[in-house]
Amino acid sequence: MKKNVWNFIFIVISLLFMTSCQNDSVSEEQNGSNENSTANDERFTVAFTWSPANLDPHGTESWEVMRAGIAETLVRLDENLEPSPWLAKDWEQEDENTWIFELQENVSFHNGKEMNAENVKASLERSLDINQKTVDLLQLESIEVVDDNTLKMVTKEPNAALIPHLADPSTIIVDVATVEDETASPSLTGAFQVKEFHKDESLIVERFDEYWGEQALLSEIEIRFISEGETRLMALQSGEVHAATDVPIDNLPVLENDDDLEVLTTPSLRTHMMLYNLESPFFEDLTHRKAVDASIPKEDIVQSVMMGEGTAANSPFADILPFGEMPEEETQSIEEIMKKSGWNKNKSGMWEKEGEIVELTMLTFPQRPELTVMGEIIQSELLDEGISVDLRQVENIDEALSSEKWDIAMYSMLTAHTGDPQYFQNIFYHSSSSSNVSSYKSEDMDRMIEEINRTTDDEKRNDLAVRMQEQLNEDLPQSFIVYPNTVFAARSEVKEFTPHPIEYYYIHPLIDME
Amino acid sequence: MRLIYFLGDRFLQLLIVVFTVSTLTFLLLRLTPGDPAYILLHANDMPVSETAIEALREELGLTAPLWVQYGQWLMNVFTWQWGDSYVSNEPVVTELLSRFPATVELAAAGLLVMLTVTVGLGVLTAVFSNGWMDRTGRVLAIIGAAVPSFWLALLMIYFFSVKEGWFPTMGRGEWSHLVLPSLTLGLGIGAVYARVLRKNMLEMFNQNFIKASKARGLSNGRILVFQVFKHASMPIVTMLGTSFAFMLGGSIIVETIFAWPGLGSYIIQSINARDYPVIQGYVIFASIVFVKIHILVDVIFYMIDPRLRR
Repeated sequence: MKKNVWNFIFIVISLLFMTSCQNDSVSEEQNGSNENSTANDERFTVAFTWSPANLDPHGTESWEVMRAGIAETLVRLDENLEPSPWLAKDWEQEDENTWIFELQENVSFHNGKEMNAENVKASLERSLDINQKTVDLLQLESIEVVDDNTLKMVTKEPNAALIPHLADPSTIIVDVATVEDETASPSLTGAFQVKEFHKDESLIVERFDEYWGEQALLSEIEIRFISEGETRLMALQSGEVHAATDVPIDNLPVLENDDDLEVLTTPSLRTHMMLYNLESPFFEDLTHRKAVDASIPKEDIVQSVMMGEGTAANSPFADILPFGEMPEEETQSIEEIMKKSGWNKNKSGMWEKEGEIVELTMLTFPQRPELTVMGEIIQSELLDEGISVDLRQVENIDEALSSEKWDIAMYSMLTAHTGDPQYFQNIFYHSSSSSNVSSYKSEDMDRMIEEINRTTDDEKRNDLAVRMQEQLNEDLPQSFIVYPNTVFAARSEVKEFTPHPIEYYYIHPLIDME
Repeated sequence: MRLIYFLGDRFLQLLIVVFTVSTLTFLLLRLTPGDPAYILLHANDMPVSETAIEALREELGLTAPLWVQYGQWLMNVFTWQWGDSYVSNEPVVTELLSRFPATVELAAAGLLVMLTVTVGLGVLTAVFSNGWMDRTGRVLAIIGAAVPSFWLALLMIYFFSVKEGWFPTMGRGEWSHLVLPSLTLGLGIGAVYARVLRKNMLEMFNQNFIKASKARGLSNGRILVFQVFKHASMPIVTMLGTSFAFMLGGSIIVETIFAWPGLGSYIIQSINARDYPVIQGYVIFASIVFVKIHILVDVIFYMIDPRLRR
């Protein structure tokens, strides 16, 4: 027995010894590489929520690659969410389907190879080959090399949103020859290049000295992947990281009381909404949707659930977009609407018609806990107004929407990820789209969607987008509740680490430390 | 010769366990709601077209009939080809093995903490039973069993990292990174096992052979270590084996809170992403580790307990 116990202790100690030896070698390696950085340069450490499984710029991790500041696309979205030149210096539309792009000169990939029209074409074609989303966004028929610096793109159908869609991270420009090489990181064109990538732990990027644009101020940035919100916050408080992204809103009071920390917020392009099932017997009737919509206390939700970090919504698109600001509509009270459509309150204060009371099923999901709280508030408001709601949490909301019986559902969507409404409207509102989760069918809406797909003039596109939102507010397939803010936090010595409404621009050359 | 039969028997058991576990995992995963293709494409709450989802389903082989998928999976299990992760496209075996050292490191450190607490607290509370130390041990055992590990972890990070700055809040690297996660892992369960050890030791004190040893004039210290502790710790070894096997499967909560890059935090990501090949591979991997540890414990018992050899 004694031997047995000692055997156990021996095994444990040996395992510890073995793993610690391995760690020593890793940290020595890291220390060795740190010596290369110049003495004046500090390493900026930032905590991100999600860790990329790989660094393939065209796969499912393209957003994470872009967020690391190592990659670029042909087009960039500026602070006003307008497309601006990036790896493409200029572009013009030749006809309805043809676009000519003039590329930036003197751009080199991180491996020193010069970027030209040929390798931009190869990069885009790789993305089109492996990522259906790129195919949906660009709708390209062909890409042709006109000369070393000029590229011609021809779309299958008129695609007026081609330019903003070329800002989507799935169109990152990479030297394709380096992507399949498992021993090295892909060669991109960003102001930073990959130095070390430790899966699940960190990504260290360093300044790329041959960068074509303005040189990065920091020599090195370490991105640490910390999925747990509380740990991210405490790593920031302890000074182990200088900044953290996606700070949980309930942690804000802690941060605001700390003089060393700064809370940085910006409106996002997300919309928290409540879907109506237009195939449910109760919500087939527009007046019922209006009655429920009238009972949602949007301002209270913004103040209590979102702790002021958001704005009340009245359309699918955030009001920071040029087509997002919609006039407030006057709403009738639920009492008025219900009475008009023949409902009367029974003795227990519930609405009743022909002996039946209103009993609704609401779905929520755990991945966005704030939506469940909003659902509970709405449930309680509706009960006060005489409508009973059975709230059910489902693990996978999209699965439940297509397979279960439901009347209303809490939902959240990034509605204009490239600052453009077209992609979302096609997928979410066109009657032929299988992702039209509310089963909304409107010939007028279909017509407008088809029109916006063809319209290239910005002003006309914005007008159309506004008209579509007016139509939505008239038909009310969803109630739009909140545009949430993106919340970052940073130590006071960090400069220019401000969140951008576009959620894939995190690291940029101007970030600095005092 | 008997040992060979014994090992052969255990190996057969291992194969049966792997087969049963792989079948159950496959079926349960297919019954769980959630489409891997949709989840992968819907990252960041982006709208996704049905064409894109269909294309990815096809690519991932999710459109084949269920029995074809099952047959393929069963073949893979026994040829050690567990497929590629849907998320990273890397072989599942590589993904699991690359994270195993981090989990072994944490499990070993956690076990060391657990052993120290179990033996230290168990022996002291048995020797000074019904004294203040025993009462403290009882309270600690109740706290250890009742306090959820995530809460203990957050408290320890707050006091020892944020307030005092003694240890890093998270991550893996040096010895100091190991302290808080291993304490979280080992403290609570160690306090509970200490009560088991105490109870066993107190029972031993009343055994006739202990009284006989005392009568023969053996010193109290010698009796305590070589007689009482030796016999009382037999059930603890089995429990430690089970705990260690559980820890090797990845301590999901502790790894997630401390951003520890091991199997536990990885499996949570994979479950959220419905990365079927990884989840299936992980379950097989964990069951093999579990069964092997049990075989090891059995072999140790077989060798030290003459009754098993009869």
